[in-house]
Amino acid sequence: MTTFADSAAAVLDAHPGGGRREAWRAFEEVGLPSASDEVWRYTPLGELGLERHAVATSPSPAAPSDAARRLAAGAGVVLTVVDGYLAPVGELPEGLSVSVDESGRSHTGQALVERYANDAFSLLNAALAPATTVVRVEPGAILAGPVVVLDLAGDGASFARLRVEVGRGAEAVVLEYLEGGRDGLVVPLSEYAVDADGSLTLVTYQRLDESAWQVARTTGFVERDGRLRQAVIGLGGHYDRSRNDAELRGPGAANELRTTYLGRGDQVHDFRTHQLHLAPRTNSRLLSKGAVAERSRSVYTGLIEIEKGATRTDARQTNHNLLLSPSAHADSVPNLDIRENDVLCAHASSVGPLDALQRWYLESRGVGRVDAQRLMIQGFFYEMLEALPDALAAPIEADVASAVGEVARAAQVGS
Amino acid sequence: MTSTLSIQGLRVAVGGREVLKGFDLTMSTGEVHALMGPNGSGKSTLAHALTGHPGYRVLEGSVTIDGRELLGLSATERARAGLFLALQQPLEVPGVRPLDMLVAAGADPATVGARVREEAERVGLRPELLERFVNVDLSGGERKRAEMVQLGVLRPRFCLLDEVDSGLDVDALSSVARRLSSAVGEWECGVLAITHFRRLLVELVPTTIHVVRDGRVVATGGPEIAERLEREGYDGFRAPRA
Repeated sequence: MTTFADSAAAVLDAHPGGGRREAWRAFEEVGLPSASDEVWRYTPLGELGLERHAVATSPSPAAPSDAARRLAAGAGVVLTVVDGYLAPVGELPEGLSVSVDESGRSHTGQALVERYANDAFSLLNAALAPATTVVRVEPGAILAGPVVVLDLAGDGASFARLRVEVGRGAEAVVLEYLEGGRDGLVVPLSEYAVDADGSLTLVTYQRLDESAWQVARTTGFVERDGRLRQAVIGLGGHYDRSRNDAELRGPGAANELRTTYLGRGDQVHDFRTHQLHLAPRTNSRLLSKGAVAERSRSVYTGLIEIEKGATRTDARQTNHNLLLSPSAHADSVPNLDIRENDVLCAHASSVGPLDALQRWYLESRGVGRVDAQRLMIQGFFYEMLEALPDALAAPIEADVASAVGEVARAAQVGS
Repeated sequence: MTSTLSIQGLRVAVGGREVLKGFDLTMSTGEVHALMGPNGSGKSTLAHALTGHPGYRVLEGSVTIDGRELLGLSATERARAGLFLALQQPLEVPGVRPLDMLVAAGADPATVGARVREEAERVGLRPELLERFVNVDLSGGERKRAEMVQLGVLRPRFCLLDEVDSGLDVDALSSVARRLSSAVGEWECGVLAITHFRRLLVELVPTTIHVVRDGRVVATGGPEIAERLEREGYDGFRAPRA
């Protein structure tokens, strides 16, 4: 059996450039995290077994599922990426270009190994992803339909890397969809750069196999008066970790982030956010909502950081969790780090079961227990789904509704 | 077909305190009964206990419709057996739309939209208010009208009104009363109106009035009971010794 280390060495020998060796050495120095690291405290690292995941040295023979095809049906452009390898791209609309970057650099110009120093999994991505898929929207271009990126993972270790660049005054809707990864390790690394006055609406939709380990990291870079609206939806995975950062770099830059997760079985959904306000009049709105059923658990840890000089910044983070069984568990840890006085900043969080009286009200109209729970859980997620772009909303809503139906059947609530 | 709701020897505790202490009442569909009594006499407890509210514990007794015992049933099964409660303060259920609730409660998905609009018009409720989540962002009067829309769509055999008149303006009160009166004619809905005001009874004329004190019915009769109440107040009706 090929081990992780052997297959990684083969990838590095075959593709030595682009800062891969440096990234690998940095990974070896940093090492895998341990449960004694605070930010990995809730992760069942003992189950990871890195050595059992062989790195894909070529794209595995994965084909998009029916669910992926339904999403693609609403797309203007579909890009298929298998284990990080971009499949041939068809004709593109004016103002959109797609390319492959092997330089090993971040949007910031830094080498990935510097940009993501000390982050073991991002370093692995920097060492082992075949290349960065770059989706670029030219300045002033307004794309008519969404760009759908189908990220398919095989059953080994899979490293995809994506960079979306929205030029000055341009507008785009992008969906990054992840599936596959049976018994695998999936480590996507994405960057989203929105130039001045640009607008990017982004949906990150994770529906990996329920045996997959995902450790994902995304970073938004938003310049003057640019706008990044991001929805992250986690339904799949055995362990689903998603770190979503945004740097608001220019005055008036805005970030809206909505993270939604639904846990079943023994799933763990682990969401980390970091809103970094670097310029005046920047705005961030973060709403995180999750439900955990059966023995699943969720972690939400969010940091709002406001730099000195980022005056009149307005930053809000909210996290609500539904506990749908006595064995489910949710942790919510909002944090603020503010180095400027002239700001508005607020956070709120809650963890609790479905409201027993609301449920009784529905039942007293003749609604059955499972249906009452289904309607209430769906209602809890309503505002998350409402914000999805029209062309993509229907298939995602249908998926969430069917997952909610399963969870409602499994839920044991209060009385 | 006439159905009979029969409550016998019902004892119910709220928060460890016994509130209903052997309550008896029998009524049939097509009848309008009023249940009157001072605050704290157990009127609301009756409505909540009958519909399976989680805060109320039944200690003893029996509640049947046509001989079928309801007390062991879930709130859903009681509703489907024919009980409907219009609350003093209808609960908000954020995120849930009235149409979805009604369909889940058994309304026909093909016609529910049209039925809701029809019923809304009958009680003077703007139909677009029913596109909001259940009872959310509605005034007190709108909520009670919205519950009459539910009643009209679900057509229960018995409707319990829990002090539906409190905090209701005269117009809202008479639309609720008119809707209930026609429900009695349309499908022989049985109405049990819990109140401690006579105002509702001017519009919704009861066939029978029960006076409740200290968790028991102490008098049952026709309109003469209301007149006696007017003259003597509740003090004229003494609670029997336990």
